[in-house]
Amino acid sequence: MQRVWAVVLSVWAMLAIVAVLAWTHHPPAPVSSPAAAQTLVVKGANGKQQLVVVQPGALGATHGTTSTSGVVR
Amino acid sequence: MTARLERSTFRAVGTMCEAAVTAGPNDGRFARLALASARAEVAACEAALSRFDAASDLSRLNAAGGEWTAVDRRLVEALRLALRAREDTDGRFDPTVLPALVAAGYDRSFEQLAERPARRAAGWRAGAAVEIEDEAGLVRLLEPGAAVDLGGIGKGYAASQALDAMHDAWPMLPGGLVDLGGDLALRGDTPEHGPWRIRIADPRRPGATAGVLVLDSGGVATSGRDVRRFGPGGSLHHLIDPETGAPAEAGPLTVTVVAPDAAEAEAHATALGISPPADAAAHVAAHPRISALYIPHEGAALPLGALPLAQRRIVVRAA
Repeated sequence: MQRVWAVVLSVWAMLAIVAVLAWTHHPPAPVSSPAAAQTLVVKGANGKQQLVVVQPGALGATHGTTSTSGVVR
Repeated sequence: MTARLERSTFRAVGTMCEAAVTAGPNDGRFARLALASARAEVAACEAALSRFDAASDLSRLNAAGGEWTAVDRRLVEALRLALRAREDTDGRFDPTVLPALVAAGYDRSFEQLAERPARRAAGWRAGAAVEIEDEAGLVRLLEPGAAVDLGGIGKGYAASQALDAMHDAWPMLPGGLVDLGGDLALRGDTPEHGPWRIRIADPRRPGATAGVLVLDSGGVATSGRDVRRFGPGGSLHHLIDPETGAPAEAGPLTVTVVAPDAAEAEAHATALGISPPADAAAHVAAHPRISALYIPHEGAALPLGALPLAQRRIVVRAA
């Protein structure tokens, strides 16, 4: 009888551990698509080439655009 | 239903323009009223400030031969702002460069320019005096041959005025934006209840973005030599250096300026548009109200001052 109780307790203990782990470990956030990132090669002030990464998600919807006044050439 | 951006697109001041307001589901009538007011105000500013309209207040002033001329209050205000900007920029922005601009070949509206070699205005010098009687609405040019061009500040002024007109027409306006060919005035809430996001077009890669500005209010203007070119083979541009009286040699491909007011932004953009990088950096450092993105013909773009850029550029490798 003691062995039966020991098995039951150990099963419950294992379930409790699994429940706690499930509660405290959130699934990782989905990784944003690599296509959203912009990688640019630009020339620095001293002529050196720099590889620049524009953070994904930074280029969201915009409300307006600024540029030199567009005119018919 | 949620708030949305109601827009009105129209052609004025020689370029494409847009007014936009944040409007709720039941605000359609107020939104249309505000947008119509913006459009009317831009037309009124053009009638007062354009040098390409022979009947404008500015054209009458330039043709008055130094006599006192009664003008619209918009021209008085724009001249006041322009003369203040001339002081603020140590003469790099000068509204009296018109004789030099005309001599260089920019003597009619851009679409009608003919290809002819540039000349220099004989005897022209920068910094011509302008006298203003505010209360009477009178203006005169004190030096023989002097003439005013507000091309480097007028669109910014008109954008600010149009934004004010939208607020006058709809006092409860949640938020609005006026864009006159890339010179913008904005204020209040967006439909998303966040800041306004303004894309800076990359002049070196058509269709690409050089940065995204995040602003609650203020003005944005871009000046450059990437599009307004004329003369033989498009070899000339409209940015006159007041020191030489000729199209400037130094300066960026484009420069975008953020300031509390659109007219201020445009005047400083015009000044930085003829400045080499070191001078531009010193100018922005001396004027904490403004910030800028300076895009040279080659090499990396230079953010100057506290530029409110949304995107973060991370240099991961330098070779």
